[in-house]
Amino acid sequence: MRLGHCLGLALAAAVSAPFAASAADNIKIGFPIPLSGPTAVYGVPILKGAQMAVAEINAAGGVLGRKLEILSRDSKANADEAVRLSRELIIKDSVDFIAGTLTSAEAPAVSTVAKENKIVFLAPSSKSVVLTDAQHIHPYIFRVASNTDVEGLAGATEMAQFKDVKTVVTIAPDYAYGRDSISAFVKALQKQRPDIKVVDSQWPKLGEPDFTAFINAMLGKKPDAVYCSLFAGDFVTFAKQAAPLGLFKAIDNRLVDGGEVGTPDAAQALGADYPYGIVTDSYDPVIWAGGNEPPEHKKFIEDLKKFTNTQYASGWSIMGYEMIEALAEGVKKAGSTKSDAVSKALIGMTFDTPVGKRSFSEKSHETFAPEYWGVMVKDPNYPFAVMKDPKPLPTSFPGN
Amino acid sequence: MAASSLFGQFMGGLTTAMFLFLIASGLSLVFGIMRVINFAHGSFYMLGAYLAWQGVQWFHPTGIGFWAAALFAAVGVGVLGAVVERLFFRSLYGREELYQLLFTYALVLILGDAAKFIWGTQQLSVSTPPVLVGSVEIFGSTQPLYNLFIMVVGPAIAFGGWLVLNRTGVGRLVRAAQMDREMLDSLGANVGFIYTGMFVFSSFLAGLSGALVTPIQSIVPGMDVLIIVQAFIVVVIGGMGSFWGTFWGSVIYGEVLSFGILIFPGFSLFSVFALMAVILIVRPWGLFGRPL
Repeated sequence: MRLGHCLGLALAAAVSAPFAASAADNIKIGFPIPLSGPTAVYGVPILKGAQMAVAEINAAGGVLGRKLEILSRDSKANADEAVRLSRELIIKDSVDFIAGTLTSAEAPAVSTVAKENKIVFLAPSSKSVVLTDAQHIHPYIFRVASNTDVEGLAGATEMAQFKDVKTVVTIAPDYAYGRDSISAFVKALQKQRPDIKVVDSQWPKLGEPDFTAFINAMLGKKPDAVYCSLFAGDFVTFAKQAAPLGLFKAIDNRLVDGGEVGTPDAAQALGADYPYGIVTDSYDPVIWAGGNEPPEHKKFIEDLKKFTNTQYASGWSIMGYEMIEALAEGVKKAGSTKSDAVSKALIGMTFDTPVGKRSFSEKSHETFAPEYWGVMVKDPNYPFAVMKDPKPLPTSFPGN
Repeated sequence: MAASSLFGQFMGGLTTAMFLFLIASGLSLVFGIMRVINFAHGSFYMLGAYLAWQGVQWFHPTGIGFWAAALFAAVGVGVLGAVVERLFFRSLYGREELYQLLFTYALVLILGDAAKFIWGTQQLSVSTPPVLVGSVEIFGSTQPLYNLFIMVVGPAIAFGGWLVLNRTGVGRLVRAAQMDREMLDSLGANVGFIYTGMFVFSSFLAGLSGALVTPIQSIVPGMDVLIIVQAFIVVVIGGMGSFWGTFWGSVIYGEVLSFGILIFPGFSLFSVFALMAVILIVRPWGLFGRPL
């Protein structure tokens, strides 16, 4: 067993070893992100979004007259692997910056490497507050995503709209992201609706293939509504198992999910099995059922479809895209690729994205990005669920 | 806690158990007869799921489409099993376990990458076949028809397998091959053929369970490794190589998991691993296995 494991690691190392020498004067960005395993469904589109931003920037002449280059590596959503790859990218490939990681297991681990090596690290999607809280903040870490406090607040705001809901059960993956987002949700909900009681919390593992027992336990509490932070394949599995067990019927579709299952990625995977009527979020709904779509966004999606050669784009690419845009902007502003200068430039910097302006806060180096929330509905133009009138939530965030 | 929700919890555990049994039985069978621990069994299961999705796209997603796709997937994985056994496993019998582990682990990596290459990394999903959509009320708890169907298929295959192994000529040869391969060989029986046959059957079961799981789970890269861990726990609890051991191991796993979640919602996996640890200490050969 142990030897088999060693061989696996050796093979993996051989596969992911750097293959080509890159042009010496490129600005190199090390990019560890899950490209295999269940979370690759997010890792790959984020990488593609980043690659599209690099292609656009390079086509326009690069940054400071130099071209950007991404060196991507498969982190397998594993913190140890992400740390190992980051060190290797810094030492062997002498990258200028680290960008990437997907989960809240990897990002805080890589952040310590960035701190040690004094190299700027941008995380596109990790949401755990721990990544940039007072204890863990350092000059080189930046977060493009929202955080779990923001997500919990937005989720509570949506839940508070259901006037007749008195009891809620929660379900979330059992690791940093899930735990933090549920505690933020509960805290925010108690403020907005002290009359609602959270009667049960379920913690399946990340990648759980069988939710039957969890769903039955939830049904046993007879809740009025459900709040969950399940995402990607986990949500697909959950929804398919919950529908025939009668969960959505029992709660009258009053399920709020903060795990970005409002993306076409999740909607396409479920097709007609999508639990229509639930409320959920997405960094980028991609398809705007309603018509309040920002024009910059329309162009972004058209470009993305061409770049990735897909019929409907992914709702995740925008995070990789924004991250590279922010980094390029920071380098331009600093007039240098030295991490100390770029870090100074990024702190407090405002940058443009296809869905509006974002700025890195001075205190915690994050954007507090609102996400788009809405009800998932049928649309005759699409063979899957789409978000009706996506609206950015929360509208204001205390502390930002 | 109301009786109806306890019953729901019990039935949920049983559904989990029967799925695990379908998968673990093939793993246990190959170990029992050929003494090979096939790590790639989970990969065959994953391929079954992907092939079923592919079949549904080809055969139309309504009517008998799903059943045709499931059969297509099971047969496809069975054929793959035949190829793998004939070309590679053949030279592994009787070797040290380490070589077998290394080889089957390599197979896991290769098949995982192949699936990613062919079907990409998007999560895929298959709809429940129309006849089994919906649910029925039993003792006040809602039971999906599809889950009930799985609860029939699992024991049916268990009983069928037991009948074949214990009541037919083929079964006698298989059991003989398990006890003394060389003696059976020298008596003129085609042991190589028996081995291939059993391996194909085991692969067929893996492919079938992969296909049958698609209506209630998403198809994602990595499902191969997740399931093999669970299947191993089942086999450890029940006893490596014991057919009924695998059956009861699955039932125990499913129910302990189901009620563990109800009782300790904060530690969903704790109860199953605790059970496995206790069994490994008290009875390392499993509940129904024999000491090696």
